[in-house]
Amino acid sequence: MDIAEVLKHTSPDLFLPELQATDKAGVLAELVEGLVTGTPTITKPDAVLQMLESREALGSTAVGPGVAFPHGRTLAVQKLTVLIARSSAGVDFDSMDGEKTHLFFVLIAPPQDSGHKYIKSLAALTDALQDDARRQGLRDADDYDAFCAVLGGE
Amino acid sequence: MHPQLQKLVLLQDIEANIKEAEEQASELKEMGFNLDGMAQLKEKAEAMSKELDHRHLGYYRRLTKRFGHAVVPVIDNLCTGCFANIPASFVSATNENLLQKCESCGRILYWP
Repeated sequence: MDIAEVLKHTSPDLFLPELQATDKAGVLAELVEGLVTGTPTITKPDAVLQMLESREALGSTAVGPGVAFPHGRTLAVQKLTVLIARSSAGVDFDSMDGEKTHLFFVLIAPPQDSGHKYIKSLAALTDALQDDARRQGLRDADDYDAFCAVLGGE
Repeated sequence: MHPQLQKLVLLQDIEANIKEAEEQASELKEMGFNLDGMAQLKEKAEAMSKELDHRHLGYYRRLTKRFGHAVVPVIDNLCTGCFANIPASFVSATNENLLQKCESCGRILYWP
């Protein structure tokens, strides 16, 4: 799966250019709030938040340098949904390298997801975010369109 | 939402994520994810199951064994487990405090 395919599961309404929260719990809550605001079919924010919090118990999803991929499956969503968020100041998200996290890619999918679209999307994103210049470009992008262009390698 | 249903949904979500992490472990590790907290997540699922009424948990376990997923969302008035039509009366306010089951397959119904 390529990045263009992943971007079909997000939209400008699911882009939070500047997070306000300053700690992990606050960021997770703000990300869920963004999901609910940007996706009218998500009506049970508590279920999504509890799932994301329990997923973090498995191991922090802040795996890339400055990047986190909170993800999981929940009955509270009807289709694969991707939310993108940024924090200029960075947040302590229990990253493996101990550094602050600036970019967040949230992937949530329903329990039934034929073809493992969600795992493939996660793989495409983690792979694309290995590139230092691309990560910096994403942090500097002015808006959603510019962000998608950088993410897509344009 | 029925309080027991809320717990069943969380339990199923946690168990789905445990199953996926186990089945896709090598791929997830290759992506850089650390799955060291598996024991902790299983403890969380265990703690959640203890909060459930014995009867409901037993029914959930039987359905999970039979169908894979015990709780299924109702979308467009259809049970997404067997695609049987779910009567509109099921969503009425009087049923808010009942654990609803599909009359056709018996799966526990959830309105996302």
